[in-house]
Amino acid sequence: MNEAPGSRRSMRPATRSGARSNRRLDDGVTRYYRLYELLLVALQEGAIAPNTALPSEPTLCRQHGLSRTTVRRALDRLEREGRIVRRRGSGTYARAQDPRPPLCLELHALPKTLAALESGTTTTILSLKAAPVPAALRAIATGIGSTAYLLERLRCSRGEPLSLTFAYVPESVRGRLRRPLARASVASLIERLGPPTTTASFSLGAVPADADTARRLAVPLGSPLLRLRAVLSDEAGRLRGVLESFCRSERLQLKALARAQG
Amino acid sequence: MYTRLSLGALSIAMSVNTGTGVSRYLRLYRVLAQALLERRIGAGEPLPSEPSLVREYGVSRSTVRRALSRLEAEGRIVRKRGSGTYARAEGRQALSRSRAPVLDDAWGLPVTAAGQTLTLARIPTPGFLQIEQPEFGRTTLLIRQIRYLEGEPVVLETAHVPEEIGARLTRGRLREGGSFLTLLAKLGHRSSSVEREFAALAADPTAAESLGMPIGAPILNVRALARDSQHRILAYLNLCCRPERYEARVAVELREKAISSGKARLRSLP
Repeated sequence: MNEAPGSRRSMRPATRSGARSNRRLDDGVTRYYRLYELLLVALQEGAIAPNTALPSEPTLCRQHGLSRTTVRRALDRLEREGRIVRRRGSGTYARAQDPRPPLCLELHALPKTLAALESGTTTTILSLKAAPVPAALRAIATGIGSTAYLLERLRCSRGEPLSLTFAYVPESVRGRLRRPLARASVASLIERLGPPTTTASFSLGAVPADADTARRLAVPLGSPLLRLRAVLSDEAGRLRGVLESFCRSERLQLKALARAQG
Repeated sequence: MYTRLSLGALSIAMSVNTGTGVSRYLRLYRVLAQALLERRIGAGEPLPSEPSLVREYGVSRSTVRRALSRLEAEGRIVRKRGSGTYARAEGRQALSRSRAPVLDDAWGLPVTAAGQTLTLARIPTPGFLQIEQPEFGRTTLLIRQIRYLEGEPVVLETAHVPEEIGARLTRGRLREGGSFLTLLAKLGHRSSSVEREFAALAADPTAAESLGMPIGAPILNVRALARDSQHRILAYLNLCCRPERYEARVAVELREKAISSGKARLRSLP
């Protein structure tokens, strides 16, 4: 470790006990990453406003009790991610927000917003085959059976992966599911295969990316991904399909609007 | 996603990973812990062998052992000499099954027992809020609470409330439990619409400490903007939730008209 003495204490945010933060240092998280996280939050929440200067490197070293190398590593990463600009002889500045807003899917306005999302993105079919349905999905979609027809697709925007979707369709609904339907959404595909889907129940959670998902979505192993599960049914309550999507939520926003009844 | 713990992962994912700030052992540990939690490796079933984990994740034997040791220490797996490593029925995963999940209120926001109020203060409206919701004045009330269920922290809730709306909020009222919007309704500010936005984030130091999780672990983030019937902002909530305790739910009725317009669009695609 090349940090100055006292560094452990000084990384401690104001509200917590020293003993616990010391233990966290053995938790596999590096010092540079902590500083990076602190600065990232300050930048995201506007505590350091766009175009204003960040504290100088020596100040950051002093404030957080870190070595110059550690501070630079954190700043390097922020620079690489386009969140700050370093101007020679002047200092480091917060960059204005990304002019390109993330894509957005409004669950309450489906399928309209899905169509909008589709027009700006591309999908790749990764597999289309009969496959066992994972237990977690069988538990929420009763009647799907232990095997179903699986459509696995990767959605990208300007070449950057957004989401990886596994859609399971009961054999009875499979019908005319064929490859040329590359760009349509899974929900619209299911729509075309039989009676209209009238309800969709979503559940959203956060999971670490496993090795295969990490590779597909070009994120580090264990990165947080938003997991969207959906059960689709028709008017009679019959199951039309169940799907599971892993989304990079920094690139694809998911929203839902609810209004009071009456 | 489900069957691939044992094949096909190769070292590509790991090589993308250098410089993420979170050690390899911790990332491998999280991936395996998630597989156990979701019962992709069911109780009594074997985990992939150490050599196959080494191969699959492109990490050293000692990294694999460190991840497995931690899982063993937490009682999630058992290592049987000469036989292999097995998922345990007891331990945290079984426990999490038996625990009640966090329930939703009418707005799809988590309902928990009373919270521990960390902050109740008048602050200058933060920059991000001024940009996103210019209706907030120069100052807002900031309320930060850790919300518990069965004695465990499950949600770190940060609320920004316009001063006139939060005038009657006290630490005493905050101790009543229920959801924040229920509390506002009791004070006469009934929500009429709530917009929620969902994201998966790496736990920052504050969220990690409040929820008793490692820094960088995935958390489910729900941001909600509540308005009353006059379209006035009642509250902007930012909830960091422990993902194994809380999943957000959204039920959608797909309207006939919207469906047909979706179909029309589809037909025009090449």
